[in-house]
Amino acid sequence: MGSLSLSAISKSFGVVDVLKGVDLDVAAGEFVVFVGPSGCGKSTLLRVIAGLDEQTSGDLRIDGLLMNSVPPAKRGIAMVFQSYALYPHLTVARNMGLALSQEGIAAADIKRRVETASALLRLDALLDRRPAELSGGQRQRVAIGRAIVRQPSLFLFDEPLSNLDAALRAGTRIEIAKLHRQLGATMVYVTHDQVEAMTLADKIVVLRGGIVEQVGRPLELYARPANLFVAGFIGSPTMNFIGGDSAARLRAATIGVRPEHLLVAPESAGAGAWIGAVSHAERLGADTMLYVDVPEVDVLGAGMLTARILGDIDYAVGDRVGLTPQAGKVYRFDDDGNSIAA
Amino acid sequence: MDQIEKLAADAPLLPAARDVAGPARARRWHIAVFLAPALLVYTALMIVPLADTLRLSLFRSIEHVPAFVGLDNFRVLFTDPRWSEHFWAALRHNFYFFAFHILLQNPVGIALAALLSLPRLRGQAFYRTAFFLPTMLSFVIVGFTWKLILSPLWGVAPTLLGAVGLRGWFHPWLGQEATALTTLALISVWQYVGIPMMLIYAAMLAIPHELIEAAELDGITGFAQFRKIKLPLIWPTIGICSILTFVGNFNAFDLIYTVSGANAGPNFATDILGTFLFRTFFGNQLQLGDPNMGATIATMMFLIILAGVSAYLFGIQARMRRYAL
Repeated sequence: MGSLSLSAISKSFGVVDVLKGVDLDVAAGEFVVFVGPSGCGKSTLLRVIAGLDEQTSGDLRIDGLLMNSVPPAKRGIAMVFQSYALYPHLTVARNMGLALSQEGIAAADIKRRVETASALLRLDALLDRRPAELSGGQRQRVAIGRAIVRQPSLFLFDEPLSNLDAALRAGTRIEIAKLHRQLGATMVYVTHDQVEAMTLADKIVVLRGGIVEQVGRPLELYARPANLFVAGFIGSPTMNFIGGDSAARLRAATIGVRPEHLLVAPESAGAGAWIGAVSHAERLGADTMLYVDVPEVDVLGAGMLTARILGDIDYAVGDRVGLTPQAGKVYRFDDDGNSIAA
Repeated sequence: MDQIEKLAADAPLLPAARDVAGPARARRWHIAVFLAPALLVYTALMIVPLADTLRLSLFRSIEHVPAFVGLDNFRVLFTDPRWSEHFWAALRHNFYFFAFHILLQNPVGIALAALLSLPRLRGQAFYRTAFFLPTMLSFVIVGFTWKLILSPLWGVAPTLLGAVGLRGWFHPWLGQEATALTTLALISVWQYVGIPMMLIYAAMLAIPHELIEAAELDGITGFAQFRKIKLPLIWPTIGICSILTFVGNFNAFDLIYTVSGANAGPNFATDILGTFLFRTFFGNQLQLGDPNMGATIATMMFLIILAGVSAYLFGIQARMRRYAL
């Protein structure tokens, strides 16, 4: 239940092409995360799946059934909105049950399903309240509950955590992951937060400019990014990209090294692949970020190499350090930015 | 002693004392200064005339000398057949006029607003302007135009009805006692339907888009969506429209005066409190002006509106919920 298949989906608003032919298959029960920068089309793609926007061309199938032009309510889906979109004039219980009563389901059944969902989401005590009387996290849970009671084969989440504060976000993220395990339903989740993408997804879809850049399991994307964009997008802090001679020596146009794969040693301790002065250090306790000026090296973008060292290591600004990439952890890219197989 | 205190207050050594006394005194002053302009204008234009009207209603001019008669003017207005017949008829007409507006103007306004807010509607701006245009016209133009349109002699209405073979349906609606008030009410609804339409349209636009999309996903579409989602969220605006309609109707005068004249013809069939007040206060044709009885009628109008607005504010609005969207 809940497989999803997109073939050559494109969407244009007037002359603006937002989606340019998206192909994707999602197996039943999978948790798929659409991730990408603002304007990459991830939300539009979700809205096309929901039926809130109609694709300009291409076919959309849910459970093998062609869903082009099928109204949203008939697609067997439920959606959780970024702003929660709860009905402000209805109680929590009515918010959750409204779709069911619209379908003509018996009141006793509605009550049972609302109670099941509210027990799952710890909303029992709040059923008689209105959305204005709830905190942000509680509203979010009601929005999820409203989706659950409909027993959809496919859940759609549109940046559901971006209106929550950081502490609540982590908690709700875990709840959503648990919910996925309990319900076993297919979930499609849109976010620009790569931590959410990495932690929740069975499969990440990286989008840019309306095109799918890469699809894969989170650690697959981390370990084997298909191109410069995915390499730079997945992982935090961002991968260091180096061109020029350093890259040419490895027969690549650009090479990439993740900050956590750079070994740092004081210059006095001997040679490093690249030598420079620390221009800024961020000490977080568990790890330390060093931003190192390496004038002789052609660093793309910021012009500084970022290194992430485990533990608290006290480098001062101006200290000269040598940086060496770990063996086998250098990514190579060709002139077009595509990965070169190792 | 005063001087010493003044010196002490000015002395830089005592900042604490100044902090306590200074701002408190200054606060009182600026409140008065900021309130004064509005208060003065409002007093001169509203409170003084209102108070004087109430005062006038308690006096009667006897041999050109004002004499205090207490509430006797009201007794005359309610019971003396020369006055009460007109008064009760005008009041009845007013309620009819109001009922017509509340039952027709507001529902039509809501319907037009709901249609205008349909996302797929083409020519929205045109319809919006077209529906609102009569509201922006002067009541003189509206009244006179309709008088011409409906005229049995040179009006376009009989000709238009004739063009579709319904010439026989035409009646001089404005000239017949049975239909004159209804016709005027319809003209008034036609003119002012733009106001509830615009207010409710604005309220509907304020409903977040995602809320409507959530309803679409829940299968709540079309009329059910209007009834279950939009209508509950625009009730407060409908309440405001109703109270505006109420106040507007019991103050109505202009359209009737333009179309039917001060005598509110035919045979006082369109007489409402406004025209009755006008005739009484300023006099008309053979009737002499009587400021005291005029003030008595004006006081009654004020009390009716006050009662209606109070009932709304304390009875309805207090129970109505506004939802944070």
